[in-house]
Amino acid sequence: MKSLLDSMAVYWCILLLFSLGAAGLIYIFWLKDALI
Amino acid sequence: MFDFIIAGVQAPIFLLVLTGMTVGMVGGFIGVGGGYMVTPALIVFGFPGYMASGIDVTHIAGKSVVATIRHRQLGNIDWVLGLAMVGGTMMGVEMGVRLLNYTKSIGLSGIALLTGSVGIMVGLFLYTQIETHRAQKKIQELSREGKTVGRELSTSNIPKFFQSISLFPIIRCHVARIVISMWVVVLVGIATGTLAGFFGVGGGFIRVPALVYMVGATTHIAVGTDLLEIVVSGGYGALRHFASGNVDIIAVFFMIIGAMFGAQFGSIATSYVRGPAIRYILSYSLILATVGAFLRLVYMLSAQKYEFLNFFAVVFTLGEMIFLCLFILSLVYFAVRHRHGKWVPAWIPSLVVVQ
Repeated sequence: MKSLLDSMAVYWCILLLFSLGAAGLIYIFWLKDALI
Repeated sequence: MFDFIIAGVQAPIFLLVLTGMTVGMVGGFIGVGGGYMVTPALIVFGFPGYMASGIDVTHIAGKSVVATIRHRQLGNIDWVLGLAMVGGTMMGVEMGVRLLNYTKSIGLSGIALLTGSVGIMVGLFLYTQIETHRAQKKIQELSREGKTVGRELSTSNIPKFFQSISLFPIIRCHVARIVISMWVVVLVGIATGTLAGFFGVGGGFIRVPALVYMVGATTHIAVGTDLLEIVVSGGYGALRHFASGNVDIIAVFFMIIGAMFGAQFGSIATSYVRGPAIRYILSYSLILATVGAFLRLVYMLSAQKYEFLNFFAVVFTLGEMIFLCLFILSLVYFAVRHRHGKWVPAWIPSLVVVQ
């Protein structure tokens, strides 16, 4: 795991995928019904 | 849920506070207003478009004051540079808007404008990425040789050319340690302002790289000085929107509560990192904003037919806010770990300052 994080591009991708996933879940389970 | 009477919208308060905080953090760190994130987010929350713009600009003006005060305390603001540039920027924005109206009147399509806007943003992203990557490599090399590396390192030769233009009057920017013709600064202000006004993109996106790669300021000074400009331009925009009745002041109030903390954290976070780290985050936000705007525009151009495009546009807007905040937080976290001699990823030491 540590050696994976040694690459900035890999770290960037993991963080981006995590953020998009979190945003997707927020939208699907909450924002969609609560706000729109 | 809170009833925003002026906007005629019901939205959870903590969502606005959270949006203000995340955008404040990103804005304080890379020196942008963050309108590209706030306006679409407010529209998702149910605010009408004109109200979203008004609330966005007003909250940006307030937040920039907080960030500017913090950056002033950190010694990141060059008043001479900022004031010389702000006049050019205001003039440029006016020219950009007029140019936009002219191109519309001669029938230039929205697609052509979008292509131009995307082209500039992608070009800026690529240049920033390549240059910053070179700077990072150089820092790593110098560190391996046992040499001390300061907070800033830029490999671009363009500033040398602009600083060599000896056109009267020459200004001395003591904080930025630059001696440069005032005309260069004003013209850079006009050029960046025109692009911002013409393409409708935030000025900070273009001004911060311009201050670094054309004027030759360090990234920290560019961020602080740009925030000073946003106070002026955002304040003017806020007044205009307020006079037009586009501002729900209660929504602005809640956003500023979050932004106050976010902007302070973002500004202080700059003291933990070297210039290239800020430039990296800036270039990421450039490309993410471009993709987000592109998705939204394709959805609008397709007559709102494909709902999945709207889904991706919203997810992207929220996702980029989360991503940029997490990246800034992780940089500070790793910087602190590095200071305590603990394990950090191999790319961290070249991006953070030890003390």
